[in-house]
Parts: sequence; C-alpha cells; structure tokens
Amino acid sequence: MASMLSDNGSETFDRVSNHNEIDTSKLTNIASILTTPGFDSSRLHPLAGLEKGVEYMDLEDEQLSTMEGSQGLIPSRGWSDDLCYGTGAVYLLGLGIGGFSGFIQGVKAIPPNASGRLQLNTILNSVTKRGPFMGNSAGILALGYNIINSSIDGFRGKHDVAGSVIAGGLTGALFRSSRGPKQMAYASGIVAGVAGLWSGMKDKILE
Amino acid sequence: MSADHSRDPCPIVILNDFGGAFAMGAIGGVVWHGIKGFRNSPMGERRLGSLNAIKARAPVLGGNFGVWGGLFSTFDCSVKAIRKREDPWNAIIGGFFTGGALAIRGGWKHTRNSAITCACLLGVIEGVGLMFQRYAAWQAKPMAPPLPEGVAPQQAQPLQA
Repeated sequence: MASMLSDNGSETFDRVSNHNEIDTSKLTNIASILTTPGFDSSRLHPLAGLEKGVEYMDLEDEQLSTMEGSQGLIPSRGWSDDLCYGTGAVYLLGLGIGGFSGFIQGVKAIPPNASGRLQLNTILNSVTKRGPFMGNSAGILALGYNIINSSIDGFRGKHDVAGSVIAGGLTGALFRSSRGPKQMAYASGIVAGVAGLWSGMKDKILE
Repeated sequence: MSADHSRDPCPIVILNDFGGAFAMGAIGGVVWHGIKGFRNSPMGERRLGSLNAIKARAPVLGGNFGVWGGLFSTFDCSVKAIRKREDPWNAIIGGFFTGGALAIRGGWKHTRNSAITCACLLGVIEGVGLMFQRYAAWQAKPMAPPLPEGVAPQQAQPLQA
C-alpha cells in the first residue's frame, strides 16, 4: 500500500514540478503505523469502543485527563466528567437509600385492611417523600464537593487525598452555613470525613 | 466507523446525564429561586427570603431535572439497543417514554398527553441539532487546492491494484 501511494504521488509531482527526490516508501505514514505488529487500536481510548473501527480525527478531543492522580474508577476527561459522573452516582445512591427507607416506612404505615390500591399508594407516597429528599441533599453535597475539588485540583495541579478532604470540609460548611457555626462545624467534619474515606478507599482499590 | 464519540458509551452515560442534568437544575434553581425569593419577600427580609427559597427549592428543581435527564438517557440507551442503529428517532421515542413515565400517577389521559408533548419537544430539539450539524458541515466543505498556472485539472483516476 505504501508503494501504491508513492507511485501516484510521483506521477502528479512529475507533471507539476518535474522532480521528486523524496523516496516515499521510507516515510512514516499512517499505513506504516497501522500495520505495525502488535498495534492495538483499543488502547488509544478506553471507552470509545475502538475495536469497531476508529475515526482518528476525533481522538484529539477525548484524551483522558493527564493530571497526576486524577484517574478514578471511571476514566475521566477532566472536571466536567468528574462533576457529572460523581454527582450522578451520589444522587442515585441517595435516591436509592432514601427510597428504600421510605419503602420500609411506607410498609409500616399501611392502615389495616387496606385494599391493594391503597397499599400501593401509601408505599409510593412515602417512597417519593423520602427518596428524593435524601437524593437531592446528597446530590447538592456531591455537586459542591466536585466543584470545589476540581477548583482546588486545578489550582494545585494535582489530585490527592488532602485536597479531597479540604473540599469536603468546605462543602459541609457551605451546606449548613445558614444554621450557625456549630452546625457548620459538625457538617464540615462529617463531609470531610466521608470525602477522606472515599479518597482513601479509592486509592486502595486502584493500587 | 463514524460513531458519535462526543458522548460516552451507553450504559455509563446514564450516570453522566443524571449528574449533568442535576447540576444544571440545581445551579439554575439557585439563580431562579434566588431572584424569585428575593422579589417575593417583604422589604427588610429580602435576602433572608431569597436564601430560604434557594434552600427549599433549588435541590428540588435539581432533582426534577436530574430524574428527567436520567430517565431520558435510560430510555434512549434502551431504544438504541433494541433498534441497533443511531439516528434522531432514538431521542424522540425515548422522549415519548420519558414523558409518559413521569406522568403515570396522573391517569391514562395525562400520561398520553405528557408522552406526546415530550416527544414533540425532543423532536424539535433534534431538528434544531440536525440543522446546526448541516450548517457546520456546509461551513467545513472541502475545497480543491488552487492549481499552479498552465496545468489542466485532472479527472480522478481509479486506484490501480
């Protein structure tokens, strides 16, 4: 294939400039890279399904973030990926836990001799009361944590446990900032603790 | 070969969409309810009223947006998996199911109307997106390079094996 390219190239060159001294069969081009033995296109980008064939020009936009320590459980391209995945995961977790506790409360609150429809409605009511409340609060915390964490990481240029703990502390303080300093301190401590735990666990798992 | 690489692959993108929609709803809610609470409070208590409105309403708006976005993404991925192709109809069908799913508790008619409305909305969004794509492709139309003097433009030659 390389020689075919060079033949056509030298034809046009001859017509236009009358001289082609470059030996095109020795140049590195896409063909020589692609046919290197052991070339595995799926290593170029982990998530993109590249074994199905690849659009090389698109790969510039999706390089994984190269900041030190920033790769987590899901490959991420930068702060917006961290934000979206982190917030989404925590919100769903909160929704699940709150919904489950609402379910249990609802089951306890069913009036005796209720019809099937009334039972369903009671349970649904209490699930949709507790679930979203916990999910929303957890999501707001995750949102604040990710924004502050990404800012700190961007500022410092690296991602580690200390930054996460500070981000957690600030988020907790902000969350309860309208209730007074004591509540702020409690919330700050709790969220910082959870953030530190999560970062520590993540480092352990990824080692 | 020309798969859309701007979105992550299907199952995991649901998390991304959930989080993104939640973020948009929450931040939008802060702005919206901040202003609304400010304007609807008596003088002298406006900042407090604004803060209270934000604390009460913004997470709810975030949650609503998040649930909508996550549900839509789930249905979109399911429809893609069933149809095994990528085109705008996936989004429209996904929107239909999302609108319906969010309105189930209100009765059959409400569900139907909500589903149709949501599908139309998504049809409009997809249409606008398609128009933008065509405009961008027209802008980036490849141009033949200018030939030097005295050379006639050649016809394309078939590749020789």
